[in-house]
Amino acid sequence: MSRKWLIDNQGLFFMAPAMILFVVFVLYPIFYIFGASLYDWDGINEAAYVGLGNYIEMFTDDRAFSVAIRNSIYWTFLTIFPQMFLGFTLASILTSGIPFQNIFRIIFFMPAIISPVVLGIIWQRIYAPFGGLLADIGFETGARFLVQPYLSDPKIAIFSTIFVNVWQWTGFSMLMYVAGLQGLPEEVLSAAEVDGASVRQRVQYIIWPMLRHVHLTLILLGVIGTLQTFALVYMLTKGGPNHATEMLPTYIFLKAFPLQSMGYASAVAVVLLVIALSASIFQVRVLGSRFTIGG
Amino acid sequence: MTRRHTAKALAFAFVTVLALVWLVPIIMMLVVSFMPPDQRAPRFGGMLISGVSLKNYVTVFEDAEIVQHFINSMAVTIPSVFLVVVISSLAAFALARLKFFARDIWFYLLIMTLMLPIPTLVVPIFQINKALGLNDNYLGLILPYTALGVPFAIVILRSFFAGFLKEIEEAAVLDGCTPFGIYWRVMMPVSWPAIAVVIIWQFMTSWNEFILALVTMNTNQVKPLTLVPLVYSGQFMMRPGPMFAILTLITLPVILVYYLMQRFMVSGLTSGAVRG
Repeated sequence: MSRKWLIDNQGLFFMAPAMILFVVFVLYPIFYIFGASLYDWDGINEAAYVGLGNYIEMFTDDRAFSVAIRNSIYWTFLTIFPQMFLGFTLASILTSGIPFQNIFRIIFFMPAIISPVVLGIIWQRIYAPFGGLLADIGFETGARFLVQPYLSDPKIAIFSTIFVNVWQWTGFSMLMYVAGLQGLPEEVLSAAEVDGASVRQRVQYIIWPMLRHVHLTLILLGVIGTLQTFALVYMLTKGGPNHATEMLPTYIFLKAFPLQSMGYASAVAVVLLVIALSASIFQVRVLGSRFTIGG
Repeated sequence: MTRRHTAKALAFAFVTVLALVWLVPIIMMLVVSFMPPDQRAPRFGGMLISGVSLKNYVTVFEDAEIVQHFINSMAVTIPSVFLVVVISSLAAFALARLKFFARDIWFYLLIMTLMLPIPTLVVPIFQINKALGLNDNYLGLILPYTALGVPFAIVILRSFFAGFLKEIEEAAVLDGCTPFGIYWRVMMPVSWPAIAVVIIWQFMTSWNEFILALVTMNTNQVKPLTLVPLVYSGQFMMRPGPMFAILTLITLPVILVYYLMQRFMVSGLTSGAVRG
């Protein structure tokens, strides 16, 4: 490499530390899981090559894996859309000039900054069947439908878990919509009002469509968030009972560490990686969204 | 006008009720942490306490090494915040202001990291740390946290650096400034709003990170605060009071940082986010 080339490409020196970290902790691990997924390996002893065996087992004979996929689909739809709807409603109210609106915004956003580890333990006591908050309210007031085995019934445990996630992240959606609403051009809104558009018409035909970039950002972040979900599920249910609340990350952890099956865990990680990358490519290509945080 | 007033009153009532419901788990965390140790089986999840006592906090400081865990969290978080600011600002400057070989490819590769679920990397990062002897070592978390935090920081700083006028840069070049001089003397000193966003974001993600900490730190002595509820869940299983005192102590620093920095956070993060 000539001296001139190096001077023309000085930027590479500025990039070098970021590049090195990226190669060691992102690029190499991606190749690593593809390789490891072809082996039966406990992480300590000699690995045995099994070809696509892990994948074949995963897709044909692994109930926990298919439950994890099903739960990811539930999780995606039952968090993203309720959060967007509720977040938009709150943002509309909290930009309309009602008293204490800044305090309300802080209250709704607060759960988003607290560790899911902490929240998981608190919600266990809310959901507990004996002496839990909901159950005791149910017993005392006669509202018996509140007395449920929220986390121990395999049929409802995943929905109880999703509910906590919605509670945690609605404030984030609200904040994004607040910023979006504040960025709307004043003239358009007042023109619509002068022309006699009702509140409903203004929301439906003007405000909601003009916030398209916020909707798309929230969907993108929601999908990434769903695919990363680990701490909350781990603290609430550890993926149980009987895998009923298993998500792909909890399953990777279970296989790799408690069950010492690093090869199989890598295969699950490959599937998760492929889902994540195709979801983002789909969104960029088809929905035309891009990752707009920071412009 | 009266119809509008009624609508506003209704909206106010709606958010008030919802906000109270929203706060219940957080209030519960505080209330249970003040539960007297001699109270029998807690009811309503512990929301009904028979008195207010600071005993649980005393218990925590006596029986749990909470200060050590706090130091561990700091020892992991502060270096990763510092490294992220340095490394991402250098890269973002190059990506925004310099031309070099394969610039766009590097940018897209880094952006791709943002779409990557961290759990996919747990097995290889565990093995890398094992090979380097970094399990149970602060560096075993500092390096991956930095690597995973840099891309988001680059996105924020790059758009901020790209907003500078070309003329300022040209004037600096005429005055004999090198690219590093432009970065260090011209751009960094006036980039505090964007750097503040990077700092708070990296602080919160490193402080709250869980899955990598869980697999990397096996000795209690080096575990950060985020693992503390697991460390003491056996010891305090039947005593929600001390456990909730721990939860409160873990949460306070995050709320404090958020409260101090929220002006930057909201304006910095969302102004970029809605530009579309």
